Amino acid sequence: MMIAAYGLSKFFPIRGALRSTISLKAVDDVGLKIQNEQVVGLVGESGSGKSTVGRCLIRLLNPTDGEILFDIPDSELVEYERARADVETKRVDAIADRFSLLRASSAELQSLRRLANIVFQDPYSSLNPRMRLADIISEPMLSTRFCSRAEAEIRSRELLREVGLPEFFEDRYPHELSGGQRQRVAIARAISTNPKLLILDEPTSALDVSVQAQILNLLRGLQEKHGISMLLITHNIAVVAYLAEYVYVMYAGKIMEWGEKQKVLRDPQHPYTKALMSSVPVIGETMTRTILRGDPPNLVNPPIACRFHPRCPVAFDVCGWTAEEVAEDLEYLLAGKYYGTFGDGVRVTTEGERTLTIQGTTDAQRIRELVGLENQEVRSLKSVQAIDVLDGATVLRLYEPVEPEMYPTPDGRQVKCLLFRPEVSAPAADS
Amino acid sequence: MADALVIRDLHVQFHTRRGVYKALNGVNLRLRRGEVLGIAGESGCGKTTMGLAVMALLPRNASFPQGQIIFDNKDLMNLPREYWERVGDRFNPKQNERILRRVSKAMGRIRGVRISMVFQEPMTSLNPVLSVGFQIAEAIYVHDPASLAHRVLARTRATASQMPELLAILGTARDDEAAVKEFAAKHDLLGIEDQVLSVWRRDDVHISRKEKAIRLLAGQQIRPVERNIVETVARAGSIPPRFSRVPVLSRVVRRVLLKEGYRKARELLTSLGIPHAERVLKMYPHELSGGMRQRVVIAIALVNNPEVIIMDEPTSAVDVTVQAQILELVKRIRTSVSAAFLVISHDLAVLAEVSDRIAIMYAGRIVEVAPTDKILRNPLHPYTQLLISAIPTLEGKPVEGIKGEVPDMRALPAGCAFHPRCPFAFEKCLEIIPIDLPHDRDQLVACWLYEAK
Repeated sequence: MMIAAYGLSKFFPIRGALRSTISLKAVDDVGLKIQNEQVVGLVGESGSGKSTVGRCLIRLLNPTDGEILFDIPDSELVEYERARADVETKRVDAIADRFSLLRASSAELQSLRRLANIVFQDPYSSLNPRMRLADIISEPMLSTRFCSRAEAEIRSRELLREVGLPEFFEDRYPHELSGGQRQRVAIARAISTNPKLLILDEPTSALDVSVQAQILNLLRGLQEKHGISMLLITHNIAVVAYLAEYVYVMYAGKIMEWGEKQKVLRDPQHPYTKALMSSVPVIGETMTRTILRGDPPNLVNPPIACRFHPRCPVAFDVCGWTAEEVAEDLEYLLAGKYYGTFGDGVRVTTEGERTLTIQGTTDAQRIRELVGLENQEVRSLKSVQAIDVLDGATVLRLYEPVEPEMYPTPDGRQVKCLLFRPEVSAPAADS
Repeated sequence: MADALVIRDLHVQFHTRRGVYKALNGVNLRLRRGEVLGIAGESGCGKTTMGLAVMALLPRNASFPQGQIIFDNKDLMNLPREYWERVGDRFNPKQNERILRRVSKAMGRIRGVRISMVFQEPMTSLNPVLSVGFQIAEAIYVHDPASLAHRVLARTRATASQMPELLAILGTARDDEAAVKEFAAKHDLLGIEDQVLSVWRRDDVHISRKEKAIRLLAGQQIRPVERNIVETVARAGSIPPRFSRVPVLSRVVRRVLLKEGYRKARELLTSLGIPHAERVLKMYPHELSGGMRQRVVIAIALVNNPEVIIMDEPTSAVDVTVQAQILELVKRIRTSVSAAFLVISHDLAVLAEVSDRIAIMYAGRIVEVAPTDKILRNPLHPYTQLLISAIPTLEGKPVEGIKGEVPDMRALPAGCAFHPRCPFAFEKCLEIIPIDLPHDRDQLVACWLYEAK
C-alpha cells in the first residue's frame, strides 16, 4: 500500500466572537488508501476539503487528528487494521512507529520528501519567477540531498525533455512560458526525485481544454512509464474519468462515496454523487438533472449527522434534521402555500434541537395532513415523529438523528449514506 | 428573424508598450432577436474583448480601426472613426481617452438599459460596501427612474374597488400578462402590471395570500410633496436637472425612488427563485454564496428589461452543482423575457446546454457559426473539430491536445491564423485570410477547405 489514511481530520482555528476561537472543520474523519502504482481521484466541489486532504497526506499541513501510514507492506497493513479494530494500542503503536508519516522526525521527513511530491493548481504562482527553469527543477533534488548540484543540472535537462520541452529552456524564466509549458515544468519538478507518490492538486484547472488534453496525456504517460502512484484532486469529473482507477467523492469535509471509477461515475449510489454526476454537462447528452437546492454548508457549524442532508433530495427522518431547519421550512409553507388554511397568526417557535411548537393553531389533524402532503417535496418534514396538542398550541417532535458511517454495498464500494445502512430496513429510496 | 445586434468586421487593438495587440481581427456576428448565441474559444481568443467592445467598456489603450456594431439601426462605433483609422504608430493615449469617453457617454443611454452584461467574477462585479438590494435598486434608479415613479403613482391611484375587479379578470384570463396590461391601460394604472404579475405568478403561495397581497397594492398613501416630485419625474421620463441640483429635492427623489427600487428588486429576486428575498436584499456581497451572488448579478442585468444580455463566463467561478442551478435559471429566464443572449464561455458543454447557436472564436475571429446540434455533431472547421476532441468525457475516451500554442496576437501568422496548428493546412491558408463561407444555409465556416463546396 502506498499510503493509507485513517480518521484524518484538519480543523483550522478561526477567530470567533469575543476572542473565542472556533474551528473550521475542513476535513473530518477521512479515510483514504492508494495502492502502489494506482491513480486515485478525489473529486468534490470547492471548499469540500479535497486540497486539504492532499496537503495533509504529504504533511504540508499537519492534520489535527488521524493517522497516515506511508509505503507500508500489505501484510503489515492488514495487521494494523486488525489491531486498530481490536484496540490493541501497543501493536498499533509498534506498526505506526515504523510507517507513520505523522511520527516521522524531521530527518526522516526529509528523505520521505523524495518519495512524495505535489503539483499545484496554478502554474503562474507555483513557480518562482526569479529562478531559471533548471534551478526550479533542481531545487527538490538539492534540498532533499537526492543528488549533487552537477548531477541535478544534467537531470533537469533530461526531465525537461521527458515532459516534452526542449532542453534549451533550462536558461529561461517562467514568465517566458505559456500556462501549459509552466505546468509541464511543475510536473518535471515534482518527479525530479523519482517519487513513488504524486499529489496532483487541480493540475489542469487553470488551463484551456486543448492544453489540458496535452497535460493529461503527459501524466498518463509518466504514470505508465514510472509506475508512480497518484492522487488526482480535481473538481472536473471528466479528468478523473480519464486518469483514475478509483474515485473518492468528497462533500463538506467528508468522504461520501468511494469505489471503482466505472461504478462510481456511471452508477453513483450516494444521493450527492448522483446529483453531482447529473450536474455535469455532457455534449450530446440531454438528461434529467437533479438540481440541488441551496449551497454547500458553512464548515464552522456544519449540519449535524449527514452533512448533505439539507440539500439531499431523498433525505429522510433520521438524516440529522434540527428543529430550526424544520421550523424554517414549516414557516415558509404556513405563510405561503397553506395560508388559505391557517391564515395569519400562526407562529413557529423551537425548543431545543428536537421540539418545535406552532403557536396559534390546535388543529393537529390539519398539520398532520400538511406534513403528509408535503414531506415528499420538503424533506425536512420527514423528520416529524409525533404531533400533539399542548397548552393551546401544536407541538411537533422530531426523530433522533443518526450519524452515517461508511456502509459497503454489494458491488464492492463504500457509501456514507443511511439509505445503505445494513441492519435497519432502509425506507424505499423514492427518487 | 430580425437581428438584435449585428457586429460587422470589428477590429479592436490594444496599444501596449510592446507593440499593438490585435485582439479582434474582423468579427462578423448576427445576434437574432430572442435567441441564445454561445461564444466559445480558448482564453486569449478575444471572447471577452468582444463583449466589452459592445458595451464600450474597453480601457483607454484600445482603438477600433474598423468595423461596426449595429444596434437598433445605429452604429455604436460611429464616433470619431477617422481618428482611429489613422492612428497607426502615432497612438496617443490622452487623445484616445477623450474619444473613448465620448463613445462611453453616447453608450450611457444604452448600456445597462437596452444592452446589459453579466461579468465573469460575481465577487468583483458587485460593490462590497453596498447591500445587494441597493445595487439592484440603483441600477433602475440610474437608468430608468421614470419606471419607478410610475410604479409608485400606480399604487396611489389604484382604489380598493379596482383590485377585486382585476383579480376577477386574472382568475379567468388565459394570457394574464395581456389582461393586466389592458386593465392597467384602461384604468390609468400603468406601472402596476409588474407588481401584480410578480405576485400572481408565484406558485409557492396560496391563492388567498396572493389575493391579499394584490389588494394591499391599492390606495397607498404618499405625502403631497413627494407626490408632486414623483409625478414630475414620471412626466419628464427622467430626473429633471432642477431636482438633482437642489440638495433637499434630490434627496427626496432619491429616497422615494430607491425605496421603490427595493420593492422591484424583491419581486425580481423572488421570481429568480431566491427564497426569503427580503432578507437577501439587506445582505452584502460577501455574505452570499457564489451561486447567490451570480443570481444577484443576473438580476441587475435583467432589471431594466434589456434587449440584449451579454453573459461573460456566467458559470466559470462556481461549482458544477451550482452551475447546474444557474444554467437552469438561464433556461427559465429566456422563456420569460424577450431578450437575446450572448453567452461567452470556454466550456462547450455549458454552451451546448443553453444556446441555440454556437460561434467558435480563434485569434480574434469567428471561425465557425452553426446551430448547436450541428456544430457539435458535424463540426467543419479543423479548429472546432480539434477543440471538441480535446474535451475529456466521462467514458474516459482518449483525448487529443491541439499541438502548438495560441499565436502571439502582436504578430499574427499571415493567412489563416490557425494554419501553424492545422493538420490540413495548404498553400492558400498560408497567404490569404479565409472568408466566411456559407454551408447548408445556417452554417458559416471560415476555412478554405470548404471553398469548393
